[in-house]
Amino acid sequence: MTDHHLSANFPMGKRYGEHPYDGEYPGKLIIVEGIDGSGKSTQIDLLGKWLNSLGFVTIFTEWNSSPIVRRTTKRGKDERMLTPMSFSLIHAADFANRVYTQVLPALKSGTIVLADRYVYTAFARDAARGVNRDWLRRVYSFAVTPSLALYFKVPLEESISRIVAGREEIGFYESGQDMGFSGNRADSFRTFQGRLLDEYDSLTEEYGLVTIDATRPISAQQQLVRQYVEPLLPGAMKIHGQDVHEALTTSGLTGRYIRHETPSRQLEPTAAPDI
Amino acid sequence: MSMPRFYGHTPLGFGENSMPGRLIVIEGTDGVGRSTQIALLKEWLETEGYAVLDTGFRRSELTGDGIDRAMRGNTLDHMTLSLFYATDFWDRLEKSIIPALRAGKVALVDRYIYSIIARARVRGVPARWLDDVLEFALVPDQVFYMEIDVDHLLPRVLSSRELDHWESGEDFLRESDRHASFVRYQTSLLQEFGNLADQYGFETVDARRSVREVFETLQQRVMTTLETMDR
Repeated sequence: MTDHHLSANFPMGKRYGEHPYDGEYPGKLIIVEGIDGSGKSTQIDLLGKWLNSLGFVTIFTEWNSSPIVRRTTKRGKDERMLTPMSFSLIHAADFANRVYTQVLPALKSGTIVLADRYVYTAFARDAARGVNRDWLRRVYSFAVTPSLALYFKVPLEESISRIVAGREEIGFYESGQDMGFSGNRADSFRTFQGRLLDEYDSLTEEYGLVTIDATRPISAQQQLVRQYVEPLLPGAMKIHGQDVHEALTTSGLTGRYIRHETPSRQLEPTAAPDI
Repeated sequence: MSMPRFYGHTPLGFGENSMPGRLIVIEGTDGVGRSTQIALLKEWLETEGYAVLDTGFRRSELTGDGIDRAMRGNTLDHMTLSLFYATDFWDRLEKSIIPALRAGKVALVDRYIYSIIARARVRGVPARWLDDVLEFALVPDQVFYMEIDVDHLLPRVLSSRELDHWESGEDFLRESDRHASFVRYQTSLLQEFGNLADQYGFETVDARRSVREVFETLQQRVMTTLETMDR
């Protein structure tokens, strides 16, 4: 865990001279990766709730969610207009927009950013579709290096059984059917997920992702996640809203008319986490 | 071209099939007269018996609409917009330009990756990064750069319409009025095009001359490329 004490800093890939996103930021960037059905979203959700309960300010960003770009992506998927390269480029546009609007401002202000999927998702998926690996790294070279990158590793059969149990249908692109592995969606999904697991294995080595055994019980995994996150917390921005509640209880009030989203927000960096 | 060449890596098997057609690009700033020349060239080439594809910037089925909507909102940062344009460009390259070249057509392309690059560079997008992103582009057989200076450009634009928000760089410049903004933006854009002309080896055409004179120059030069083509 030696490297995880670093703050988030630019860049992800090779660096080509001056860059507008250059710099070291006071915030922390924690990202989760894994194939569908690995349980990573559950884990980052639990992590966020825990951090909030400790008073830390967190912002959450999710793969393929830029309000400006995702509409085009959705249309491209729905109408099956996306090919491996356009799939890759439109996701890079989505990522760039979220870095600019969500990730950088938060990191610069000293808050914790939680990202469900990061550049490694593009590296894995696009490479599995045959896109040039070296080019992908240069395209994403503006990405901020995470303070902590967790990879939730799950065997193929386990992820498939989780998905079959939890969802009704797997998407066309999600199952890699655009690649023509198989006309049968389930078979195609299996082939594609298998390829993704191989890609993640090599990414783990290349980028030193922290692997978590995603077959373990959810709470056991979460304990481990928190252990990895803890050393990053000193200095991260907190909200002190507790004084409002203290004032209310001492006056015998419930705060029924006080909106939850507007406590007396005093933003300040803290010296150490109150754990 | 016969076997395709790309600026960087060859994307996904696109280097395998020969492309007997010719890829001819017209570059230049807005209002310089690109579309007029493309219309003239298209008619002439078809009269000569060549099958012609003409395609322009931001016209792909996939992203054209999305880019328009995003730009209307005015909230697009420059790197995202560059990647949006790159997506649009790839979509047109893959779905219309490459198939046309494989079929032996002459593709007349109104603005290519260079317009994306010039506009992004003046807005501070790292040059090396965007060159890398767009390295999947086919190297054209000919790139004509219609060169003009701001003094000649301004009356030309004003005679047909008002100065536009984007081509005045008002999305990132803070000048007191649109004229000042247009002059400042176009001056740096034209300078960037000049850099690209050197970097990518454009054939420069003096666009200050009359439509007829420019057309005749283009005709002569295009002819040299078409002479080598199997018909």
